[in-house]
Amino acid sequence: MTQSYPLHLIPLLPFIGAAIALLFGKKLGKQLIGILSSGVVLLAAAIATMAVYRLGTELPPAGRLVDSFFTAPWIKAGDLEVGASLMLDHLSAVMVLVVTWIGFLIHIYSTAYMEHDEGFTKFFGFLNLFMGSMLILVLGDSLLVTFVGWEGVGLCSYLLIGFWFDKEAYAYAGRKAFVVNRVGDFGFLIAIFLVFGAAGTLNYAALDVPGGAAQGLAQHHWLNQPIALFVGLFILVGATGKSAQIPLYVWLPDAMAGPTPVSALIHAATMVTAGVYVVARMHVVFQIAPVTLAVVAVVGALTALFAATIGFAQKDLKKVLAYSTISQLGFMFVGVGSWMQHQIGDPHASSNYQAGIFHLVTHAFFKAGLFLGAGSVMHAMGGEGDVTRMGGLKKYLPHTRWTFLIYCLAIAGIPPFAGFWSKDAILAGAFAAQWPPDPNAGGLELFFAHHLGHLLYGVLLVAATCTAFYMFRLYYLVFEGEFRGTDEQLHHIHESPPAMTGVLWALALGTIGVGFLGMPNAFHHGLDVFGEWLEPIVREQPREEDVKHFVIFAAVATGAALFGILSARALYRNGFSETVKSFVAKFPGLYKLVLNKYKIDELYDALIVKPLRWIAVVLWRAFDMLIIDGLFVNGVGVLATSVGKLVRYVQNGDPQRYLVGILVGAAVMVWMAANWTVKGASDFVPKAEQRTVTVSAHGAAGSSGQRLQYRVSWDGDEKKFSSSQTSPIFQHTYDSGGKKKILVEAFDPRWGTKSRESHTVTLP
Amino acid sequence: MLALLAAAPDSAKAALADPKTIGAFSAPRGAFAIIAVLAIVGAAMTITRRNPISAVMWLVGTFFCLAGTYALLSAHFLAALQVLVYAGAIMTLFVFVVMVLNRDEPEPYNFRNIWTRAPIIVVAVGYLIYRLWTHTATLEPVHRGEPPAEFGTLAQIGTILFTDYLFVFEAVSILLLIAVIAAVVVARTMRPEVTHPEPTEEQNLGSELANEPGHGVGGPATVERAGHGHGGHGDDHGHGHGGGH
Amino acid sequence: MNQIPLSDFLLVSGVLFALGIVGALLRRNVLIVLMSVELMLNAANLALVAFARSYHDGRAHAFALIVMAIAAAEAAVGLAIVVGIFRSRRSVNVDELTLMKH
Repeated sequence: MTQSYPLHLIPLLPFIGAAIALLFGKKLGKQLIGILSSGVVLLAAAIATMAVYRLGTELPPAGRLVDSFFTAPWIKAGDLEVGASLMLDHLSAVMVLVVTWIGFLIHIYSTAYMEHDEGFTKFFGFLNLFMGSMLILVLGDSLLVTFVGWEGVGLCSYLLIGFWFDKEAYAYAGRKAFVVNRVGDFGFLIAIFLVFGAAGTLNYAALDVPGGAAQGLAQHHWLNQPIALFVGLFILVGATGKSAQIPLYVWLPDAMAGPTPVSALIHAATMVTAGVYVVARMHVVFQIAPVTLAVVAVVGALTALFAATIGFAQKDLKKVLAYSTISQLGFMFVGVGSWMQHQIGDPHASSNYQAGIFHLVTHAFFKAGLFLGAGSVMHAMGGEGDVTRMGGLKKYLPHTRWTFLIYCLAIAGIPPFAGFWSKDAILAGAFAAQWPPDPNAGGLELFFAHHLGHLLYGVLLVAATCTAFYMFRLYYLVFEGEFRGTDEQLHHIHESPPAMTGVLWALALGTIGVGFLGMPNAFHHGLDVFGEWLEPIVREQPREEDVKHFVIFAAVATGAALFGILSARALYRNGFSETVKSFVAKFPGLYKLVLNKYKIDELYDALIVKPLRWIAVVLWRAFDMLIIDGLFVNGVGVLATSVGKLVRYVQNGDPQRYLVGILVGAAVMVWMAANWTVKGASDFVPKAEQRTVTVSAHGAAGSSGQRLQYRVSWDGDEKKFSSSQTSPIFQHTYDSGGKKKILVEAFDPRWGTKSRESHTVTLP
Repeated sequence: MLALLAAAPDSAKAALADPKTIGAFSAPRGAFAIIAVLAIVGAAMTITRRNPISAVMWLVGTFFCLAGTYALLSAHFLAALQVLVYAGAIMTLFVFVVMVLNRDEPEPYNFRNIWTRAPIIVVAVGYLIYRLWTHTATLEPVHRGEPPAEFGTLAQIGTILFTDYLFVFEAVSILLLIAVIAAVVVARTMRPEVTHPEPTEEQNLGSELANEPGHGVGGPATVERAGHGHGGHGDDHGHGHGGGH
Repeated sequence: MNQIPLSDFLLVSGVLFALGIVGALLRRNVLIVLMSVELMLNAANLALVAFARSYHDGRAHAFALIVMAIAAAEAAVGLAIVVGIFRSRRSVNVDELTLMKH
């Protein structure tokens, strides 16, 4: 059931804010722009909240609010019909609330953080632009509208990462983000093409209908697999690009070059979650071929562990958080990819989406908070981000410290903070996951189908432990121990202004409270508000665990987390302890490898970037400069001038010579005209039936054809021509068979010219 | 002579419209033969005389013969015009100019590259004439006998010019106007002060053609002018070059 | 005069035209060249009039009249140019008028 609602206001308001900020920012001044930009986001958030309220109260669970911007379809080309429409259902409701409210908080924060920056108004313009694009992404009602937003956030990411573009490295970081994203976008586009080709529509509502358009994706096969399999894989490619999973995660750590609010908003709470959102959104497709979900989960788990280990050695505050984001996104992917125990085709079949999306929400809170807290620390340290120079900051930055601690506890998964609930949901789901195997699957495949879940659970548990470890390493290095920086920095340290600390506390509250929305139903039915809310979309009953199950999982997870925390405490409580230092000294190679992020960037550079560059240079030097420029462009010029040089000698100034030329030209023209009239007139086509041959000559077109005379010689003998006639058609019956040579002549009595043509026919 | 020939068609009316008589020798044909020969002789003389005045006179004779031919062809008005316009006006113009420029040529003929040029010319012209002959020789005979009464009269030509081909008529009149203006402008004598308001040094009528062909007065021959340069042509250093761009 | 075949007139026209060409190409005096051009024009006129008589089409007469007018205009302008050239170069020799070359 659908209802109309002015959803377009939600992205439109930030766009208007962006336009004003970018066009008139300098004139209106920082304060006004700050208020304006934050204000439009607040408005959008309010409208979104009202919309969600309406959705929740007035519409049935599967209902949607829709809004079409144009009455006629936006694109109508052949079979493709796409409307510029927005849609709010339960899934996008979650996303839109997260995006707008956390976005609003970050806007407030930025008014203080970017206060001294010259590009203040430009920054807010871009920020609003990003908000608008992200909202289009989540509110879009078809893959194409989502893609518009997808591209938009990619663009804004580039603009904002490279915000301080006068530093070359930062500009390159922006470019790298854009290029890597593009690779993902390519995959996404292929997926869109495949969906349209097989299902005939790109509209989510149309695809969601059970047995509807999505059936096309199940029925069409390629390489013995349903097209849905490939769609899923390509969407995964796109998702790895946006959500920074293996292999397209390399842009995210570099993206830390942007201002911290950017990192918080884009690379923690919103843009990077787009990949997870899209996978959830296209669950119908993924469910047709559950092996794709297995791939999603595996990718997520590997990334989670991989990124977590990198976090061990990083020295830059924001880089640790970046890798942490990558790791947590991996968790989300596992959540979204864990297939619950149902058969394919079961209308209740689904994967553990609720857990994935739930973690998305909780992660948005504490990761944004972590980044903003980091910003606060860097602000206090005068821009310094190296943790080896920090320490003992708890004395000077109480607000920042306490909120940071809350966030760290949440990300480590300590109850009752939010992270615990969502992470636990994912872990439990992963453990219980079983991807339905092919009916004629072999032994190995069956083994994986049953036990992959356990494997992933193990990987995630290790990753969770690592998470706890490196996050608290960070905490201890920054806030505890002795100060390791310079005196000047010490002088400068001060707590952040209320605009920043207020937001930190708001996020902390969120971190504490949001978790309770998703408590498992094991304790009491109806506790899992979150799961219930998403149920109509993903059609999976919220997991009914018994209390015992839950307690075991919780205990294991919490234990692992505590282990991580305590190890970190032991090693880093007073700065880099001796153990750490001796470890580094004993394994310098390992340390360097981890510090250099396993040299993946260098690998990509050698394998992909350099060859591409080389091809480009070759094409440029050889092809472009030599062939196109030299041969075609310059060549044409050279040709023209040399021909001119030759022809020039015709003009010697002697008019009598020119007259001769005119004369000759006239004679030539008359000659051509005379011979043209019979040109091709005697071409003929012989048609033979038994011994009767019919010959029809072409006859010159036009008026001259009417006065031509034709003659034929059936023996091929020039002397034995028939008499002339004006018709070009002749017929003759031969007495004997064999090879016959036929001559036809066309004669123009006016000009006295003639032409002849001969053919040979073989008769029976 | 013209009157004689004009009277001839009346006497020959008896023998008209008979295809068999075409091509046969007849009085009109003989008359035409004489006139044609005279015309050709006149043309040949024109192009071979050393003295331009002689050439002009012979050409006038050719034109008279042609006028006679037109009369034979029932183009009476055109015959009169031929005498009036060609022989009367154009040739008079030629006479005047020849008198102004009369020089005997030491070498009247231009035999440069004659051995390359002659064959080409002969072939080309010969081919054209050959075509002309053969084309027309096989034309369907269009002998329709005597033309209608108003054929060749001033009235008919006037009607044609003022109704069907009015545009041509107007265009030609404009053309004549332009020709008059052009002739006047090109041929008038130059006075230095006519062209430029700055009458500084002038060297009159140098042996160079104009350095400034853009000033359509013919070479103003003021080759150097202090301070003004050559308007619009950039600087012409070393004026010995004369227009050789 | 339908006793005189058309081709006679055309032959004369052709010969006159050929003589005009020869004169235009082989004489050095620019005045003679101009006169040869007039000769050529007249040859064309003769052909026109002959055809007019043959087809009883008065429009060819009008055409011939136009040709005459144009010939007159051309002669006028051409002679004016000759006079102008003569003024500066004191010569009417075609060979010396070769300035418009590369």
